[in-house]
Amino acid sequence: MRRTHAAIAVIVAGLSLAACQQVDNTAGAPTVYIDPATSGPVKGVGIESQDIVGMTDQMMRDMLSQPRLTNAATPPSVIIDSEYFHNESSSRLNKNTITDRLRIGLNRAAAGRMQFVGRHYADMVAKERELKRQGTVDRGGLPAARAQKGGDYRLGGRITSLDSRDPRSGAMQRYSQIVFEMIDLETSEIVWSGIYEFAKSAQDDIIYR
Amino acid sequence: MRAFLAPLLGLLLLGGCSGMEPAPHCDMGRVSSQRDLVPGPAMIPGEPSPLKEMPLNSASIIDANIINKVHVRAITARRTATGTVEVVAQVVNCTDFPLNAEARTQFYDGALSPSEPASAWRRLALPARAVTGYHEFSIGAQTVEHYLIEMRETR
Repeated sequence: MRRTHAAIAVIVAGLSLAACQQVDNTAGAPTVYIDPATSGPVKGVGIESQDIVGMTDQMMRDMLSQPRLTNAATPPSVIIDSEYFHNESSSRLNKNTITDRLRIGLNRAAAGRMQFVGRHYADMVAKERELKRQGTVDRGGLPAARAQKGGDYRLGGRITSLDSRDPRSGAMQRYSQIVFEMIDLETSEIVWSGIYEFAKSAQDDIIYR
Repeated sequence: MRAFLAPLLGLLLLGGCSGMEPAPHCDMGRVSSQRDLVPGPAMIPGEPSPLKEMPLNSASIIDANIINKVHVRAITARRTATGTVEVVAQVVNCTDFPLNAEARTQFYDGALSPSEPASAWRRLALPARAVTGYHEFSIGAQTVEHYLIEMRETR
Protein backbone atom coordinates (compact mmCIF):
# COMPACT_ATOMS: atom_id res chain seq x y z
CA MET A 1 0.00 0.00 0.00
CA ARG A 2 2.84 2.31 0.96
CA ARG A 3 4.59 1.52 -2.33
CA THR A 4 1.46 2.46 -4.28
CA HIS A 5 1.29 5.83 -2.48
CA ALA A 6 4.93 6.50 -3.20
CA ALA A 7 4.48 5.65 -6.87
CA ILE A 8 1.47 7.95 -7.13
CA ALA A 9 3.43 10.78 -5.48
CA VAL A 10 6.29 10.37 -7.96
CA ILE A 11 3.91 10.36 -10.93
CA VAL A 12 2.09 13.49 -9.67
CA ALA A 13 5.41 15.28 -9.13
CA GLY A 14 6.54 14.29 -12.62
CA LEU A 15 3.33 15.56 -14.17
CA SER A 16 3.64 18.83 -12.27
CA LEU A 17 7.22 19.29 -13.52
CA ALA A 18 6.15 18.52 -17.11
CA ALA A 19 3.44 21.16 -16.81
CA CYS A 20 6.15 23.70 -15.83
CA GLN A 21 8.18 23.12 -19.04
CA GLN A 22 6.49 25.59 -21.33
CA VAL A 23 7.71 27.50 -24.34
CA ASP A 24 9.48 30.70 -23.35
CA ASN A 25 7.30 32.77 -25.64
CA THR A 26 9.22 36.02 -25.36
CA ALA A 27 11.17 38.02 -27.91
CA GLY A 28 14.88 37.28 -28.26
CA ALA A 29 17.62 39.85 -28.17
CA PRO A 30 16.88 42.28 -30.98
CA THR A 31 19.33 42.96 -33.77
CA VAL A 32 21.05 46.23 -33.02
CA TYR A 33 22.42 48.53 -35.69
CA ILE A 34 25.67 50.12 -34.67
CA ASP A 35 27.75 52.89 -36.18
CA PRO A 36 30.40 51.19 -38.37
CA ALA A 37 32.75 54.10 -37.67
CA THR A 38 32.78 53.28 -33.93
CA SER A 39 33.85 50.09 -32.19
CA GLY A 40 30.92 47.85 -31.33
CA PRO A 41 30.26 45.45 -28.44
CA VAL A 42 32.28 42.65 -30.10
CA LYS A 43 35.87 43.77 -30.37
CA GLY A 44 39.19 42.04 -30.72
CA VAL A 45 42.71 42.86 -31.78
CA GLY A 46 42.19 42.59 -35.55
CA ILE A 47 41.11 45.03 -38.24
CA GLU A 48 37.50 46.05 -37.62
CA SER A 49 34.88 48.21 -39.29
CA GLN A 50 35.96 51.42 -37.56
CA ASP A 51 39.51 50.82 -38.80
CA ILE A 52 38.34 50.31 -42.38
CA VAL A 53 36.15 53.43 -42.28
CA GLY A 54 38.97 55.40 -40.65
CA MET A 55 41.79 54.29 -42.96
CA THR A 56 39.85 54.70 -46.22
CA ASP A 57 38.56 58.14 -45.21
CA GLN A 58 42.07 59.21 -44.22
CA MET A 59 43.67 57.94 -47.45
CA MET A 60 40.94 59.47 -49.60
CA ARG A 61 41.36 62.92 -48.04
CA ASP A 62 45.15 62.67 -48.27
CA MET A 63 45.06 61.73 -51.97
CA LEU A 64 42.71 64.61 -52.75
CA SER A 65 45.27 67.04 -51.34
CA GLN A 66 48.05 65.78 -53.65
CA PRO A 67 48.47 68.01 -56.74
CA ARG A 68 49.95 65.21 -58.84
CA LEU A 69 46.81 63.14 -58.39
CA THR A 70 44.05 65.71 -58.38
CA ASN A 71 45.39 68.91 -59.94
CA ALA A 72 46.72 67.65 -63.26
CA ALA A 73 45.73 69.40 -66.50
CA THR A 74 44.42 66.04 -67.73
CA PRO A 75 42.78 64.06 -64.92
CA PRO A 76 44.73 60.81 -64.48
CA SER A 77 43.06 57.43 -64.98
CA VAL A 78 43.34 55.48 -61.77
CA ILE A 79 42.81 51.79 -61.01
CA ILE A 80 41.89 50.99 -57.42
CA ASP A 81 41.20 47.34 -56.67
CA SER A 82 42.62 44.57 -54.51
CA GLU A 83 44.68 42.86 -57.25
CA TYR A 84 47.98 44.24 -55.92
CA PHE A 85 46.82 44.89 -52.36
CA HIS A 86 48.09 41.96 -50.33
CA ASN A 87 47.10 40.72 -46.90
CA GLU A 88 50.16 39.25 -45.19
CA SER A 89 48.82 39.84 -41.69
CA SER A 90 47.28 37.41 -39.24
CA SER A 91 43.95 39.26 -39.53
CA ARG A 92 41.35 37.43 -41.55
CA LEU A 93 39.58 39.93 -43.78
CA ASN A 94 38.30 40.49 -47.28
CA LYS A 95 40.69 42.99 -48.89
CA ASN A 96 37.89 44.19 -51.18
CA THR A 97 36.21 45.79 -48.18
CA ILE A 98 39.10 48.25 -48.03
CA THR A 99 39.73 48.85 -51.73
CA ASP A 100 36.03 49.06 -52.64
CA ARG A 101 35.34 51.67 -49.98
CA LEU A 102 38.41 53.64 -51.00
CA ARG A 103 37.51 53.59 -54.71
CA ILE A 104 33.89 54.54 -54.15
CA GLY A 105 34.73 57.30 -51.68
CA LEU A 106 37.36 58.73 -54.02
CA ASN A 107 35.18 58.48 -57.11
CA ARG A 108 32.34 60.35 -55.41
CA ALA A 109 34.63 62.96 -53.90
CA ALA A 110 36.97 63.52 -56.84
CA ALA A 111 34.23 65.09 -58.98
CA GLY A 112 36.23 64.71 -62.19
CA ARG A 113 39.63 65.47 -60.67
CA MET A 114 40.53 61.80 -61.25
CA GLN A 115 39.04 59.21 -63.59
CA PHE A 116 38.50 55.66 -62.42
CA VAL A 117 39.03 52.52 -64.47
CA GLY A 118 37.05 49.43 -63.48
CA ARG A 119 39.72 46.91 -64.36
CA HIS A 120 37.94 44.29 -62.27
CA TYR A 121 35.09 44.62 -64.79
CA ALA A 122 37.38 44.28 -67.85
CA ASP A 123 36.00 40.86 -68.71
CA MET A 124 32.42 42.12 -68.60
CA VAL A 125 33.29 45.03 -70.90
CA ALA A 126 35.24 42.80 -73.31
CA LYS A 127 32.28 40.45 -73.71
CA GLU A 128 29.88 43.29 -74.50
CA ARG A 129 32.32 44.88 -76.97
CA GLU A 130 32.65 41.53 -78.70
CA LEU A 131 28.87 41.11 -78.97
CA LYS A 132 28.57 44.63 -80.41
CA ARG A 133 31.28 44.06 -82.98
CA GLN A 134 29.83 40.70 -84.00
CA GLY A 135 26.50 42.42 -84.59
CA THR A 136 24.74 40.21 -82.07
CA VAL A 137 23.63 43.36 -80.28
CA ASP A 138 23.45 46.95 -81.58
CA ARG A 139 26.17 49.52 -80.88
CA GLY A 140 24.34 51.28 -78.05
CA GLY A 141 23.90 55.03 -77.77
CA LEU A 142 27.41 56.22 -76.96
CA PRO A 143 30.20 56.44 -79.55
CA ALA A 144 32.43 53.37 -79.80
CA ALA A 145 35.87 53.46 -78.18
CA ARG A 146 38.94 52.11 -79.91
CA ALA A 147 39.91 50.16 -76.81
CA GLN A 148 39.20 49.93 -73.10
CA LYS A 149 40.68 52.70 -71.00
CA GLY A 150 44.23 52.18 -69.74
CA GLY A 151 45.39 53.23 -66.30
CA ASP A 152 47.91 55.94 -65.45
CA TYR A 153 48.16 54.97 -61.79
CA ARG A 154 47.22 51.82 -59.87
CA LEU A 155 46.85 51.19 -56.17
CA GLY A 156 49.20 48.73 -54.51
CA GLY A 157 49.67 47.98 -50.86
CA ARG A 158 50.20 45.50 -48.08
CA ILE A 159 48.70 44.60 -44.72
CA THR A 160 51.17 43.21 -42.20
CA SER A 161 50.97 42.49 -38.50
CA LEU A 162 53.02 41.55 -35.47
CA ASP A 163 51.39 39.38 -32.80
CA SER A 164 52.48 38.81 -29.23
CA ARG A 165 50.87 36.91 -26.37
CA ASP A 166 51.60 36.76 -22.66
CA PRO A 167 51.50 33.01 -21.79
CA ARG A 168 50.80 33.72 -18.11
CA SER A 169 47.82 36.02 -18.48
CA GLY A 170 46.69 35.01 -21.98
CA ALA A 171 46.60 38.67 -22.97
CA MET A 172 47.11 39.22 -26.69
CA GLN A 173 48.48 42.19 -28.58
CA ARG A 174 48.58 42.90 -32.30
CA TYR A 175 50.26 45.67 -34.23
CA SER A 176 48.69 46.14 -37.65
CA GLN A 177 50.22 48.17 -40.44
CA ILE A 178 48.39 48.96 -43.68
CA VAL A 179 50.37 50.55 -46.48
CA PHE A 180 48.79 52.20 -49.53
CA GLU A 181 50.84 53.20 -52.57
CA MET A 182 49.93 54.67 -55.94
CA ILE A 183 52.15 53.43 -58.76
CA ASP A 184 52.81 55.10 -62.11
CA LEU A 185 51.95 52.37 -64.63
CA GLU A 186 54.56 53.56 -67.16
CA THR A 187 57.56 54.14 -64.94
CA SER A 188 56.70 52.20 -61.73
CA GLU A 189 57.37 55.37 -59.76
CA ILE A 190 55.53 55.51 -56.45
CA VAL A 191 53.74 58.83 -56.74
CA TRP A 192 51.87 58.73 -53.43
CA SER A 193 52.09 56.73 -50.20
CA GLY A 194 49.91 56.49 -47.13
CA ILE A 195 50.19 54.43 -43.96
CA TYR A 196 47.64 53.51 -41.31
CA GLU A 197 48.80 51.71 -38.20
CA PHE A 198 47.46 50.74 -34.80
CA ALA A 199 48.11 48.33 -31.95
CA LYS A 200 45.39 46.69 -29.86
CA SER A 201 45.50 44.42 -26.85
CA ALA A 202 42.81 42.21 -25.35
CA GLN A 203 42.58 39.39 -22.86
CA ASP A 204 41.24 36.94 -25.45
CA ASP A 205 40.97 37.44 -29.15
CA ILE A 206 37.63 37.05 -30.86
CA ILE A 207 36.96 35.00 -33.97
CA TYR A 208 36.82 36.93 -37.24
CA ARG A 209 34.96 35.26 -40.12
CA MET B 1 29.25 86.78 11.84
CA ARG B 2 31.87 84.06 11.46
CA ALA B 3 29.12 81.46 11.24
CA PHE B 4 27.78 83.22 8.11
CA LEU B 5 31.16 83.82 6.53
CA ALA B 6 32.27 80.20 6.45
CA PRO B 7 29.32 78.83 4.38
CA LEU B 8 29.48 81.89 2.11
CA LEU B 9 33.14 81.26 1.43
CA GLY B 10 32.40 77.58 0.80
CA LEU B 11 29.71 78.46 -1.71
CA LEU B 12 32.02 80.84 -3.52
CA LEU B 13 34.69 78.14 -3.71
CA LEU B 14 32.19 75.61 -5.05
CA GLY B 15 31.09 78.10 -7.68
CA GLY B 16 34.67 78.42 -8.82
CA CYS B 17 34.92 74.62 -9.20
CA SER B 18 31.70 74.19 -11.19
CA GLY B 19 32.01 71.39 -13.76
CA MET B 20 32.21 72.18 -17.45
CA GLU B 21 29.49 70.69 -19.60
CA PRO B 22 30.52 69.51 -23.05
CA ALA B 23 28.90 71.04 -26.14
CA PRO B 24 26.26 71.22 -27.50
CA HIS B 25 24.37 73.22 -24.90
CA CYS B 26 20.67 72.93 -25.70
CA ASP B 27 17.96 74.82 -23.84
CA MET B 28 15.32 72.12 -24.11
CA GLY B 29 12.65 74.37 -22.64
CA ARG B 30 13.06 76.78 -25.51
CA VAL B 31 13.37 73.93 -28.03
CA SER B 32 9.99 72.52 -26.97
CA SER B 33 8.33 75.94 -27.03
CA GLN B 34 9.54 76.44 -30.60
CA ARG B 35 8.25 73.00 -31.54
CA ASP B 36 4.82 74.12 -30.37
CA LEU B 37 4.94 77.20 -32.55
CA VAL B 38 6.24 75.86 -35.83
CA PRO B 39 5.13 72.75 -37.72
CA GLY B 40 8.63 71.82 -38.90
CA PRO B 41 12.09 71.73 -37.45
CA ALA B 42 13.06 75.12 -38.89
CA MET B 43 13.96 77.89 -36.48
CA ILE B 44 11.62 80.86 -36.19
CA PRO B 45 13.12 83.93 -37.87
CA GLY B 46 14.11 86.54 -35.35
CA GLU B 47 13.82 84.21 -32.35
CA PRO B 48 16.99 83.50 -30.38
CA SER B 49 18.29 79.98 -30.98
CA PRO B 50 17.71 77.50 -28.16
CA LEU B 51 21.14 76.10 -28.93
CA LYS B 52 24.05 77.89 -27.38
CA GLU B 53 25.99 78.37 -30.61
CA MET B 54 29.30 76.62 -30.95
CA PRO B 55 31.83 78.89 -32.63
CA LEU B 56 33.10 77.65 -35.97
CA ASN B 57 36.82 77.33 -36.73
CA SER B 58 37.33 75.89 -33.28
CA ALA B 59 37.52 72.58 -31.44
CA SER B 60 34.63 71.33 -29.35
CA ILE B 61 35.29 68.67 -26.73
CA ILE B 62 32.03 66.76 -26.69
CA ASP B 63 32.90 64.22 -24.01
CA ALA B 64 32.50 64.97 -20.32
CA ASN B 65 35.16 62.34 -19.54
CA ILE B 66 37.98 64.38 -21.02
CA ILE B 67 36.72 67.95 -21.01
CA ASN B 68 38.74 68.71 -17.89
CA LYS B 69 41.70 66.63 -18.97
CA VAL B 70 42.72 67.99 -22.36
CA HIS B 71 43.23 71.43 -23.80
CA VAL B 72 43.30 72.40 -27.47
CA ARG B 73 46.19 74.83 -27.52
CA ALA B 74 46.07 76.10 -31.08
CA ILE B 75 44.22 75.49 -34.31
CA THR B 76 45.39 76.54 -37.73
CA ALA B 77 44.00 76.00 -41.22
CA ARG B 78 45.61 76.33 -44.62
CA ARG B 79 44.80 75.68 -48.25
CA THR B 80 46.71 72.83 -49.85
CA ALA B 81 48.07 73.00 -53.38
CA THR B 82 44.88 71.38 -54.67
CA GLY B 83 42.64 73.89 -52.90
CA THR B 84 41.45 71.55 -50.15
CA VAL B 85 41.71 72.74 -46.55
CA GLU B 86 43.99 71.20 -43.95
CA VAL B 87 43.22 71.90 -40.30
CA VAL B 88 45.82 71.26 -37.65
CA ALA B 89 45.14 71.29 -33.91
CA GLN B 90 47.56 70.90 -31.04
CA VAL B 91 46.07 68.91 -28.19
CA VAL B 92 47.62 69.07 -24.73
CA ASN B 93 47.10 66.19 -22.31
CA CYS B 94 47.01 68.02 -18.96
CA THR B 95 47.04 64.81 -16.88
CA ASP B 96 49.83 62.59 -15.63
CA PHE B 97 48.36 59.64 -17.52
CA PRO B 98 48.27 58.66 -21.21
CA LEU B 99 44.87 59.17 -22.81
CA ASN B 100 43.22 57.83 -25.94
CA ALA B 101 41.02 60.32 -27.73
CA GLU B 102 39.59 60.64 -31.21
CA ALA B 103 38.60 63.62 -33.29
CA ARG B 104 36.75 64.39 -36.48
CA THR B 105 36.17 67.52 -38.52
CA GLN B 106 33.06 68.85 -40.18
CA PHE B 107 33.76 71.35 -42.93
CA TYR B 108 31.23 74.09 -43.81
CA ASP B 109 30.66 76.29 -46.84
CA GLY B 110 30.21 80.06 -46.86
CA ALA B 111 26.51 79.69 -46.04
CA LEU B 112 27.47 77.73 -42.89
CA SER B 113 26.02 74.51 -44.28
CA PRO B 114 28.03 71.29 -44.11
CA SER B 115 29.91 71.14 -47.41
CA GLU B 116 30.72 67.42 -47.18
CA PRO B 117 30.30 64.46 -44.82
CA ALA B 118 32.17 64.76 -41.53
CA SER B 119 35.54 63.03 -41.56
CA ALA B 120 35.94 59.64 -39.91
CA TRP B 121 37.08 59.63 -36.30
CA ARG B 122 40.85 59.79 -36.19
CA ARG B 123 42.48 58.25 -33.11
CA LEU B 124 44.93 60.26 -31.05
CA ALA B 125 47.29 58.70 -28.56
CA LEU B 126 47.93 61.50 -26.06
CA PRO B 127 51.04 60.89 -23.94
CA ALA B 128 50.96 62.30 -20.41
CA ARG B 129 51.71 66.03 -20.18
CA ALA B 130 52.55 66.16 -23.90
CA VAL B 131 51.30 67.98 -26.96
CA THR B 132 49.92 65.88 -29.83
CA GLY B 133 49.00 67.09 -33.28
CA TYR B 134 45.71 66.35 -35.01
CA HIS B 135 45.22 67.14 -38.67
CA GLU B 136 42.50 66.56 -41.21
CA PHE B 137 41.97 67.36 -44.88
CA SER B 138 38.74 68.45 -46.48
CA ILE B 139 37.36 66.67 -49.52
CA GLY B 140 36.06 69.77 -51.25
CA ALA B 141 38.26 72.56 -52.52
CA GLN B 142 36.79 76.03 -52.99
CA THR B 143 33.48 75.21 -51.28
CA VAL B 144 35.09 74.93 -47.83
CA GLU B 145 35.10 78.09 -45.71
CA HIS B 146 34.79 76.96 -42.09
CA TYR B 147 35.32 73.91 -39.93
CA LEU B 148 34.45 72.50 -36.53
CA ILE B 149 36.58 69.86 -34.81
CA GLU B 150 34.86 67.50 -32.38
CA MET B 151 36.84 65.48 -29.87
CA ARG B 152 35.91 62.64 -27.53
CA GLU B 153 37.57 59.85 -25.57
CA THR B 154 38.18 56.60 -27.49
CA ARG B 155 36.20 53.68 -26.09
